[in-house]
Amino acid sequence: MEEYAEELRTPPVALVSLVGMPELHQTISASLHSEQPPINTLALPDFGKISIIAPKVKEAVDSGQSAAGILKREWLAKHRTRVPAVVAALFSSDGVTGDPAQWLQVCTDLENVKAVVRGRNIKLVVVIVQSSLRDEVSDDHMTALKKRGEIDSKYITTFLLSDTLEKRKSLQRLAAMFAELSNTYYREEGRRIKTRIEKKSWNCAELHIRYCFKVAVFAEFRRDWAEALRFYNDAYGGLHEMFGAPTKLQPIQRLVEIKTVAEYLHFKVSTLLLHGGKVDEAIKWFHKHIASCERLVGLPEVAFLHWEWMSRQFLVFAELLETSSAVIPSSVSANSGASGATLTEWDFQPAYYYQMSAHYLRKKKDSLEASLSAPETSEWRNPSESTALESIVPSIFVGQFSRVLEEGDLLTTLPVADAEYASYALAEAKRFQDSFEIIALYRKASESFTASKATRMASFCSNRMAREYYDTGDFTNAKRILDDIVGLYRRERWVALLWEALGYLRECSRKLGLLKEFAEYSLEMAALPLTEAPNGGGLSQRGVIQEEVLGPIKGETFMKVDQPIDLEVDAVSPLRTVFLASVAFHDQSVKPGAPATLTLSLLSRLPQPVEIDQLEIQFNQPACNFTLSSSTVKNQLSSSEEPPPPFLLTPGKWLRLTHEIQSGQSGKLECLSVAARIAPWCRIRCQADSPASMEASPSPSPHWKMLDEVQNSSTGDPILSAAGQKIIQIEEPDPQVDLILASSGPALVGEIFSVPVSVISRGHSVFSGELKINLVDAKGGGLITPREAEAAAGDGHHVELLAVSGTGEEEDDDDIKRIRHSFGLVAVPTLAAGESWSGKLEIKWHRPRTVMLYVSLGYSTSSGDGGGSAGQRVNVHRNLQIEGKTPLVLNHRFISPFRCEPLLVSKLRRRPDGGGGGGGDPTTVSLPQSEATVLIVSALNCCDVPLRCVSLSVEDPDGGGGGGAAVQAAVRHGAAAIASEVVAPGEEFKQFFSVVPPSESPGLELGHVCLRWTRDAGSGGGGGADSAVVVRQKLPEVKVEKPPLVVKLEFPPYAVLGDPLTFHVKVQNQTSFLQEIKYSLGDSQSFVFSGPHQDKASVLPRSEHVVSHKVVPLGSGPQRLPHVNVTAVRYSAKVSASAAASTVFVFPSPPHLDPEEEAS
Amino acid sequence: MIVCVAVVGQQNNPLYLQSFTDGDDALKFHHIVHCSLDVVEERVNNPKKSGPTLNEPFLGLLYPAENYKVYGYLTNTKVKFILVTTDLDVRDADARNFFRRFHAAYMDAVSNPFHVPGKKITTRTFVERVGAIVRSFGSTLPA
Repeated sequence: MEEYAEELRTPPVALVSLVGMPELHQTISASLHSEQPPINTLALPDFGKISIIAPKVKEAVDSGQSAAGILKREWLAKHRTRVPAVVAALFSSDGVTGDPAQWLQVCTDLENVKAVVRGRNIKLVVVIVQSSLRDEVSDDHMTALKKRGEIDSKYITTFLLSDTLEKRKSLQRLAAMFAELSNTYYREEGRRIKTRIEKKSWNCAELHIRYCFKVAVFAEFRRDWAEALRFYNDAYGGLHEMFGAPTKLQPIQRLVEIKTVAEYLHFKVSTLLLHGGKVDEAIKWFHKHIASCERLVGLPEVAFLHWEWMSRQFLVFAELLETSSAVIPSSVSANSGASGATLTEWDFQPAYYYQMSAHYLRKKKDSLEASLSAPETSEWRNPSESTALESIVPSIFVGQFSRVLEEGDLLTTLPVADAEYASYALAEAKRFQDSFEIIALYRKASESFTASKATRMASFCSNRMAREYYDTGDFTNAKRILDDIVGLYRRERWVALLWEALGYLRECSRKLGLLKEFAEYSLEMAALPLTEAPNGGGLSQRGVIQEEVLGPIKGETFMKVDQPIDLEVDAVSPLRTVFLASVAFHDQSVKPGAPATLTLSLLSRLPQPVEIDQLEIQFNQPACNFTLSSSTVKNQLSSSEEPPPPFLLTPGKWLRLTHEIQSGQSGKLECLSVAARIAPWCRIRCQADSPASMEASPSPSPHWKMLDEVQNSSTGDPILSAAGQKIIQIEEPDPQVDLILASSGPALVGEIFSVPVSVISRGHSVFSGELKINLVDAKGGGLITPREAEAAAGDGHHVELLAVSGTGEEEDDDDIKRIRHSFGLVAVPTLAAGESWSGKLEIKWHRPRTVMLYVSLGYSTSSGDGGGSAGQRVNVHRNLQIEGKTPLVLNHRFISPFRCEPLLVSKLRRRPDGGGGGGGDPTTVSLPQSEATVLIVSALNCCDVPLRCVSLSVEDPDGGGGGGAAVQAAVRHGAAAIASEVVAPGEEFKQFFSVVPPSESPGLELGHVCLRWTRDAGSGGGGGADSAVVVRQKLPEVKVEKPPLVVKLEFPPYAVLGDPLTFHVKVQNQTSFLQEIKYSLGDSQSFVFSGPHQDKASVLPRSEHVVSHKVVPLGSGPQRLPHVNVTAVRYSAKVSASAAASTVFVFPSPPHLDPEEEAS
Repeated sequence: MIVCVAVVGQQNNPLYLQSFTDGDDALKFHHIVHCSLDVVEERVNNPKKSGPTLNEPFLGLLYPAENYKVYGYLTNTKVKFILVTTDLDVRDADARNFFRRFHAAYMDAVSNPFHVPGKKITTRTFVERVGAIVRSFGSTLPA
């Protein structure tokens, strides 16, 4: 678009000329230029210059019968820059009103202007410039001026400079006047020419076109786009008629001129349509334009001119479409689509036009090359000296050329002969580097297509771009671009396109000297599936390509390399079509050192048989790698299908080799790759596949699966193909190390239970040994993770691995790498054969649980100094079930003091029949205030081992020992109170305490019972108080209340037969009320007594009532006293002395007791 | 005149491509058919709102390519039929009629028990039949 002149590209703007008063020109020009629509100004500083716009003399010859050309090159520029629509003569008011000489000057100037203007029908405006209001020009002067200028009075105006407001008003007035007059001028001019068209006073088409063009331009000046479009259309129509009838004279130049004009007209029409928002119409118009001009190729020798022209049409339209893309309606494709309308989505894409432009430019290039080499054009290419091509210049007509002859100062133009013009055109065309232009156009199209997600179109453009690069010798760029696009062709399996692209890539690599790439592309090409490729991708050609790469070197330096190159074939490589390897072990696992059989299958799809000199098979254990060469394998081959030369790969047929290898180290043995030397300089390394995975997935060739003709099983053995794997598991060697876990019976909750572990080498040396310890709940409840509630309670685990210690000299914490609650990892020191190591696992039970202890030892048989895989890794596993048991069960109960019964109201309410002392419901034990109560704590051994109780105490809730005010140790059961005591299984250990609650309380904390115990030294385990296990158990809270009544029974410790004795029942009233009590005495066979059986009495507040009875024992031995019942009326509570409390021993005769004797 | 017809598979892989020109520019048609898949995709991804195109296999004019017009047809199984012609103005009915017959021929070819779906169509019968359909293109006689 840039090559078009400015006046053609932009819409025309009216032109106004200013004459005189040059100091004002700047102001007025700027003001007019900013008008909407703008007006251009042609400023003439003084009246002498007015002759510039005078018409030239020969201009009037327009009405001639024939024309030398269609459009004049200068005409449009002339009206835009030289011929104004309006001339404004500016006079200062001083000049008008001044002396007669000045007035005369004004009159002369006006005359001159008038004379010039008249010839062209230009409008005249007289402007009187007043510098102040006082300088007003009289009406007489105005009238005189009007008459002189022969203009309407409204076109004489004043221009006031007095102040800015006035000035602005004057400027606006001028602008309005100019706009009106220029409109009138252009309309009149247009009409004048229109009448000529209507009269048809000529018979040549050129003039018709020219006039139509002029009318259209004048309409454009007036911004009458509709009329402009109509006349441009008419002009194009006129031109169209000329297409069919080219003159015999100068046919080449004639065609060039017609097409240039057509291009101008088309550009104008397209611009107008696009600016009017009629995108569809513009595109349809363009198609019409192309369709009508397409066949105007002209002489084949200069066909390149036509193709260049075509290319320019597409380019310009693409640019137009792109710049006006903002106005393309989004719904534009609605009128296209399946309904069969002529426009498609692609017609709205500038990219399409860029692509077409590039296409035609390419055509031009080809055509130019043909012309340059054709014999017919030889005289054009080498013009004789007489035809000086430099003197050929564009003539005054659009699309025409002429020769300028210089004779002294005189320049004369002569027409050019077609032959001369053709030489000129060829010389001009040779100067341009079309390739760069083509590449730029294709790139633009490709980018644009990529942006609109049309990848295939973009690829096509890239393809063409690459070819252009290839043609210009830029192989690097060509290869880069093609590499990008072959992926698409591979993916969509467009063999023909791929073949073409690979062909170029191959040549690029060859030219660039890239041997590896060359080999890859060549092999891929050779292995492409056969199609009826249009460009001869037949079998023979493929064979030639293969031969070129793999065949013997025929003296070409290109193929000679020192180091053989490796072609890698991975899972996604396109070379999988070339070479494919599958490896299957016959077994799934094998003992270390034992032989393992594997079947190796190779497939090539190259068109000709491939001879392989050497096969290298690589494993993840490099020690197992092996190489097969044709000579060595002959003996080993067990496959019956071997062809006579063992390593001849026939196209499309699997070559199967069975081989036996010595299995290496334990673990996984995986075949990684198979490398085949297919040429002296080239080795192809293919990633190995399992036949099973190859059958299951489309892996043999992801791109060409659907084209495969032969695909029988790779191994030939159905079982192998279904289950064969390229991986074999090599088992571990049998361990020659003993791992012993010794356990000593059940573990007890709370103690640190140690499990001795010993590692004894029986042949293997142990290097970098590691002991893994794991504790698992035996019930299968997973790991010993507690429930959340228990976790919150404190100790996280039921069973915890505390520490692992070795008994070696380095018994240090360094040994312990990591100990978690249920998992531990310990390093075992290096052991030579025959040595041993032992350690201890310390495990603590928090709850009685049965756990499984798993211990595994992993070690290497040799030191790993040489490398990671130097030694075999061997694992030994052991496990042990250990039961956790509760050792001692703590119990307690409360007992009231002997023969003392405090009345506890709360107990009464709940259990009206009363009862003994403690023992009842442990949560609601009530104790009397300030009275001593006995607390018995017992520990029952419920495990199978004798335990030693070290101490049993009650700790104050605040932490202080000894029970504080509330609990005091009373009497111990047995003699050795402090020394530890052995409790046999099933036995009980007891301790007594006395509790005297100091004050009333609803919930008195008594503290914890704290029992320290150890295993009995005789039964193993750590002894002594140091390792004693402390068991704590909280005593329940007790209720302390003040007893209202306390009943005590008092009588002597013994009686003598026949001697009377007195027993008292004392009832203490601890309240401040009068308490009424009833009591009764039952009969007894052992005693006689006197007195009432029943009575009642009142006990005064805070006093004591004593009921005394004198009884005489009648029998000896332990005798029960008569049964006493005391009833408190207020509380309806009855107390009766228990049998134990009311038994007395009766001696038959008074005993003789000597205290001193007893003590001794 | 029809210069090329093609069948393109579900995964945009060519199943059958036949050109009917004497020149050696057959590769060009491979490019044209391949590029036309972009338009088919575009049509499929941005279906028109208007009702009649629903379930309509005929895609109409796909795009103008150099001096050719490319028409498309999309089956329910996403197999595409492409027609490249030099005629500037093809009647809709002709194109539809052509595609219908082409589709029928394709269906017969793939119904062959020896045909493997997704593979290229190579039967001679199909080639001959397509040749006949192409020759009769434009004639008003029904199939």
